Amino acid sequence: MKRYIGKRALSGILVVILSVCFNFTLIRLAPGDPVRIIAGLDNPNEQQIQVLREKYGLDKSIPEQFVMFLKQVSQGDLGYSYVSDRPVVDMIVEKVGPTLTLTLTAVLLSVTLGTLIGIYAARKNGSWFDKLVCNLSYFFDATPGFWLGLMMIIVFASYLKLLPTSGMVSLKNNYTGLKYIQDVARHLVLPISTMVLTQTPYYFRIARSSVLQAMSEDYIITFRATGMKESRIFNKYVLRNAILPTVTVLGMSLGFLLSGSVLIETVFAWPGMGRMMFTAIGKRDYPLLTGIYLVTSVMICIAMILVDILYGLIDPRIRYD
Amino acid sequence: MSLLELKDVNVQYILKDKKIMACQHIDLEIEERDSIGIVGESGSGKSTLANAILRLLPKRITAVDGEILFEGKDLLKITPEELNALRWKEISVVFQKSMNALSPVHKVGKQMEDVYRIHEPKANRDEIRKRVYELFKIVNLSDRVYELYPHELSGGMMQRVSIALSLLHNPKLLVLDEATTALDVVTQSQILQEIMKLEENMNLTRIMITHDVSVVASTCKKIAVMYAGCLMETGTVQDVLVNPKHPYTQGLLKSFPSFKGAKNDLRGIPGSLPDLSQEIQGCVFADRCPYADDRCRQEKPVLRVVNGCWKVACHKAGGE
Repeated sequence: MKRYIGKRALSGILVVILSVCFNFTLIRLAPGDPVRIIAGLDNPNEQQIQVLREKYGLDKSIPEQFVMFLKQVSQGDLGYSYVSDRPVVDMIVEKVGPTLTLTLTAVLLSVTLGTLIGIYAARKNGSWFDKLVCNLSYFFDATPGFWLGLMMIIVFASYLKLLPTSGMVSLKNNYTGLKYIQDVARHLVLPISTMVLTQTPYYFRIARSSVLQAMSEDYIITFRATGMKESRIFNKYVLRNAILPTVTVLGMSLGFLLSGSVLIETVFAWPGMGRMMFTAIGKRDYPLLTGIYLVTSVMICIAMILVDILYGLIDPRIRYD
Repeated sequence: MSLLELKDVNVQYILKDKKIMACQHIDLEIEERDSIGIVGESGSGKSTLANAILRLLPKRITAVDGEILFEGKDLLKITPEELNALRWKEISVVFQKSMNALSPVHKVGKQMEDVYRIHEPKANRDEIRKRVYELFKIVNLSDRVYELYPHELSGGMMQRVSIALSLLHNPKLLVLDEATTALDVVTQSQILQEIMKLEENMNLTRIMITHDVSVVASTCKKIAVMYAGCLMETGTVQDVLVNPKHPYTQGLLKSFPSFKGAKNDLRGIPGSLPDLSQEIQGCVFADRCPYADDRCRQEKPVLRVVNGCWKVACHKAGGE
């Protein structure tokens, strides 16, 4: 087991380095020049641009820049943002809170909701409830999140005026303590509802199909033939066998927690990682982008390794020696 | 009174656009301590019949009618609770695909413990363990199987686990659905010997579903030959296998090699099973029967007594 974890950690590090290397190169190959953006649009003079280029090391070749970047990272430094001149590490740490509040709540809610509805629908397979939720799940799965978000804003914020349109806190009032939490919660309702509505179908379908799959296995007939109560067959044997795929997809989605959701955060002006990344792409803020990519790929690798280990614990057919 | 009596049992699989008559007008009596082999080619309805006895067919797509009397109680009419009380305690089954007969994520022993507790809710762990070890010994498995997962066992071992599981509550009636087909011949005969010993010691009645006539010949007292969902011929093994009356039984026996006696050429029966979604007017075997005439194609033969429990469903067989 220890050897397995060690092996997976090593390959994880390799994957992170490779993906950062790709991202590092790709963003620099993309059209657009950060120096011209920083220097301003009105015909900056060439000398000034040359100075900036040297300052940021952009006059060097991409491999040279990458080596410099690796040296920096090995000292725990992700560099400074071109746009705000602040340390990238600080900027990322600042966004962790808001992003996790949004993504973690949304993921936990969608998993719980989707799995429970899925299990119930599978149990009532073919009933009107099953048909209804199946159709709803296709509908919401096919709905783009940003469109749904906008519709939510139009209905609940602009028209009914029940909830705030965007942001994480009301800027007018400087709430503290419990009031602050309430305020954030009010701002959370719309973005989280949007995310839950678009993510639940995914977990729903996985739970429903794996329960149906487990219910049709031969061993269920065996237990039925032994006179075991249907409720016990379902609760002990069907669920235990059907939970495996849900664990996999849940683990995978945990990897994306920190990267946030670009579209949802943008629509709701949520001050999180996704929106920061979106802005950074527009401004060609190389250090900030590379930093975000690095954090994201590390998270995804860790999540993958955790899922594999967890899987070995819950599925006896998987062994790590 | 017979232990199990089937009276005019019909099983239909109901599909969207057609109905398939999987078992038709089955009349069969099984006495206590009998051992009966139900033989027939693939698709002849043997397994369907076995599953119908314990009401294990998926309700939504099957229709079973007739009477299935177990010790006088109609298994098709009793409540689910009564049925559950009877299952495994009185009638147990060894299923065909034993590789998937147990949940893959629970230990073999734990699952057997669970099954034991269905009818003995207060049983303690050591008691159950003792009982399971006892059964493992009968089917020649080592005790450590208790702590293993199904995937850690070979196909043959799982088959033996299934047999041990079926004997857990000393049932009166044991249905073996191709239970030993996957085993090598040595293990197969060893297990069948053990089961036959149990029959004598524990009042076990056995229904053996197989397409291996030689297994029936060596281990069963009676035989029932099925074809296309219909019973063709039933009787004692001595009668039916030595002097088959039904042309189908004759054909079936000709397609098996025999160790003893003259080396005859093996001959199959030309043709294949009829389409069971169509109503067949006459005898289901008429199309493949070398002796069929107009009457066979128009009038369905019923089981007629040849001698004692020996019955045959054929216009051509018997006195005429």
